[in-house]
Amino acid sequence: MKTIDCRNMACPQPVVLVKRALEENPGESLTVLVDSGAPRENVTRFATNRGFLVAETPMGVGFSLVVSGKAGSIEIAETVAPGAKGKTVMLVGSDRLGDGPEELGRLLMKNFMITLLDINELPDSIFFINTGVLLTTEGSEIAEVLEKLENMGCEILSCGVCLDFFHRKDKLAAGSVTNMFTIAEGMLKAQSVIRL
Amino acid sequence: MVQDGDYVAVFNSIHRVMKAEKILKQKKLAIMLIPVPRALQSDCGLAIRYDSALRNEVERVLAEEGFLPAELYVKQHGEYVKVTT
Repeated sequence: MKTIDCRNMACPQPVVLVKRALEENPGESLTVLVDSGAPRENVTRFATNRGFLVAETPMGVGFSLVVSGKAGSIEIAETVAPGAKGKTVMLVGSDRLGDGPEELGRLLMKNFMITLLDINELPDSIFFINTGVLLTTEGSEIAEVLEKLENMGCEILSCGVCLDFFHRKDKLAAGSVTNMFTIAEGMLKAQSVIRL
Repeated sequence: MVQDGDYVAVFNSIHRVMKAEKILKQKKLAIMLIPVPRALQSDCGLAIRYDSALRNEVERVLAEEGFLPAELYVKQHGEYVKVTT
């Protein structure tokens, strides 16, 4: 059984690593070492929301979480054709939702992201490009919301070129930086792409 | 988005809620425009959330400007309780 040590890591890094490990080793159990508090809660919530069982044991420092698949989930993983992993990705190409007055568009986008917090079916990744990166950087009213989404297992990725263009490379407030290769590959490999 | 103890002010028009947000932000009050929580009904779909510590100031400013909300709720033990003003 694979063990990953997420102690001394800042959120959302533990959730990101657990997600990756579960995807890379479908059907295998995983031991995760986490600090108490937010990392422990976030990893547990992420795994149980996705149908995994979590057994935790307190340690001297932090907790050991054993994440294992429910009966049946392993079969599902095996029947999905290679390449079509059933991922959903969302492409946010603007800081506004829909055409029309800028003020309304920005308000609708903010509203949409907050509403995602209450929905169980989240996309696997959200890519932010062009003025979309204004949502993930300092000054964004929803940086905290995006961070919560990331803690729920939804990757928040901003286009590096776009951050550079808007002089916001060192002002990322939620998620991480990505490149066009990852964005293009993510969209082509996904089962569904939702473009906002 | 809404914690226990937070206030949620519901307005009956999108224009009113946007104006109210603008007025409160000009006064540097830490409020947030949020979707109306599912448990509450509203025609407009937007509400303003604020901390209980800001309640007096927020409501004083809104009253002065003639932008008091249609309804006000406070979250207590996970439930929205209507506040009669």
